[in-house]
Amino acid sequence: MAAKIHIQEGTATYRKYRIAMWTCFIISLLLVAFAYVDVGTISIGSNKYNLSLIRLDKAIAFTIAILGLQVVVGYTGQIALGQSFFFGTGAYLSAWLVADHSWPFLMTLLVVIPSCFLIGMILGLPALRIRGLYLALLTFGLAAVFPSIVKLDKLYTYTGGAGGKLTSNYKFVAPSWLPFDKVAEGLQKIPFLGGFFGDGPLSDREESRMWKFILFSIIAAICFWLVSNLIQSRPGRAMRAVRDNETSAATSGINLAATKTLSFGVASALGGVGGVIYVAEIGIASPDDFSSLLAIYLIVGLVVGGVGTLSGALIGGLVYALIPDWASSTQSISFLPQRWLQGPTGSLILGLLLIVLTLFLPGGIVAGWRKVKKRFLQIDSATF
Amino acid sequence: MLYVEHIWVHDMDLLLQRVFDAVTNGSTYALIAVAMVLIFKATTLINFAQGEQAMLGAFVVLQLWDWGVPMWGAVAIGMCFSGVLAAFLERALIRKFDPADHLPLVIITLGLFLVINAVAAIIWRFDPKSFPELFPSGNAFAINNIRLSWYTIFAFTSCVIVLFVLQTLLSKTKIGLAFRAVSSNIESSRLSGIKIGTTLQFGWALAAAAGTLGASIYAANPVLQIEPSMMLRALILSVTAAALGGLDSLWGALIGGLTIGFVQSVVVQYIPFIPNEMSLSAAVIVLLIVLIFRPSGVLGTRAVERV
Repeated sequence: MAAKIHIQEGTATYRKYRIAMWTCFIISLLLVAFAYVDVGTISIGSNKYNLSLIRLDKAIAFTIAILGLQVVVGYTGQIALGQSFFFGTGAYLSAWLVADHSWPFLMTLLVVIPSCFLIGMILGLPALRIRGLYLALLTFGLAAVFPSIVKLDKLYTYTGGAGGKLTSNYKFVAPSWLPFDKVAEGLQKIPFLGGFFGDGPLSDREESRMWKFILFSIIAAICFWLVSNLIQSRPGRAMRAVRDNETSAATSGINLAATKTLSFGVASALGGVGGVIYVAEIGIASPDDFSSLLAIYLIVGLVVGGVGTLSGALIGGLVYALIPDWASSTQSISFLPQRWLQGPTGSLILGLLLIVLTLFLPGGIVAGWRKVKKRFLQIDSATF
Repeated sequence: MLYVEHIWVHDMDLLLQRVFDAVTNGSTYALIAVAMVLIFKATTLINFAQGEQAMLGAFVVLQLWDWGVPMWGAVAIGMCFSGVLAAFLERALIRKFDPADHLPLVIITLGLFLVINAVAAIIWRFDPKSFPELFPSGNAFAINNIRLSWYTIFAFTSCVIVLFVLQTLLSKTKIGLAFRAVSSNIESSRLSGIKIGTTLQFGWALAAAAGTLGASIYAANPVLQIEPSMMLRALILSVTAAALGGLDSLWGALIGGLTIGFVQSVVVQYIPFIPNEMSLSAAVIVLLIVLIFRPSGVLGTRAVERV
């Protein structure tokens, strides 16, 4: 076994390690963005797998929604399954403002965040009395009714009924001061690997796609930063205390009602932000995108990444955005009959992942990764 | 969900007709709800995959019938099949978890939900198929425009029969006694020599068999067809029915089912500001009200919290 490296938390080495890790992460993100800004595919065998920025933008939207689930399920321990409700609310609110009032997409966040926060808090009120399985039941019901609410005839002018609400009137235009072309040209000059980054300067379409990706990534980064601060602050510690034992939390002077309501509000607001990004990417909000299946898939994302880990949300978002798509583009595997590759293979894989991970790796992929990492690198926590 | 064409009917006739619809729908919800109640009694767990398990069972019934097995024989074999499958699932996936820790169990049943739904769709495809008629077709009687179909009568009767059979099973047989012991106190029943695992498996098998019968009757409704997603709506409605009746009461499931059917087919129709499509939402609102004001339901035992 390789020698273990020890790093003491709070030292200069630790800081350098953190900075190096983050720089690597951001650089690789940009490289991926430039490599796949044109419709990018990876070929394995005779199957082509899509890895365009469109997929990654969707992944960001799901990531933010799953981040919300991390707050309410992972850190506060309330089994709330209805994230798709708030995802849909955010998406529809934003689509309505953009399509009917020609707001720019990012401006709609100013309305979506507070309204989803409020709705989440109000719908979270019953959760003060309803616990455990009953809450799971009720929130699942909430997720199930969302499509029938937006399909209501009375809301047709706002939601566009069963056909959905188009937002194609708004286009993301990249500001001209961003040196996309120069970066692209620079990357194309790299020997051997330059071919991955396409040919010549980016077209307008590609530039706008790149701009969207960067914007969404920044929004996601802000959400992660805020949530991680929240988790480490006093209300965040209160949430974890509520998760671990409600009675003892209450006896230590934690206001159960306030803590739970806050976590519901934050989770719903994050769900709303995810919905805004989703509709900004897709260009249409259609009712059946936000069904109870989405609610289950978001739970899959939560569990696959790891319940109660922030980075797990990112993995979960990627898994949900990529796996069903890749599964449906797998047209031939030599040892499987063709018949098994048509139909909802993605949902089969996600369901199996959910079961297998819960049985064998309860902490999700993040916990597995941490176990592997621990063999090579030990970060000793600071002692005060 | 049953929309009978009315040309012109007297108000009273219409009301009666809607009540019959309510009974029809309510009985099928009650059968799925009974399955949930059985599992909740045994393990204090709500099985989100119950509807899908039942749907899979109904597809097996349809497949057997296609192969030429007589109808009720196919139903019996389908019930056995899903019972065995459920017993296996309980052993493989559920038993290793602590029943008091709800999150992993909810996640596992949600995973089962996705897997069963996908497998059924891969094997039988998404397109709706018509299900053979389990009961004689036509109406038992028709006066003016009031039609009481044989289907309604038989659906309700089978629901009541199932409940009687289950109650007898639980109160008169040895394994039923063990089941009741386990559902009242796992620790003490283990100490008195009851095999907990086998008993729980029995509960799961019984629930799945009842669910399959429910789904078969549901799909045999002349106006409905069988498809992999048919239980999505029914799941919410049945869960609400189960919660309404009290999650641990068998007869409560019937009361809950009929109430939900009544809300769906009668109450919603007479409240002008609630559109027709909102019947699912109405059920969720009923669920909310029940959980807030009477979490133990109509007939359920109240939970006592000891500190």
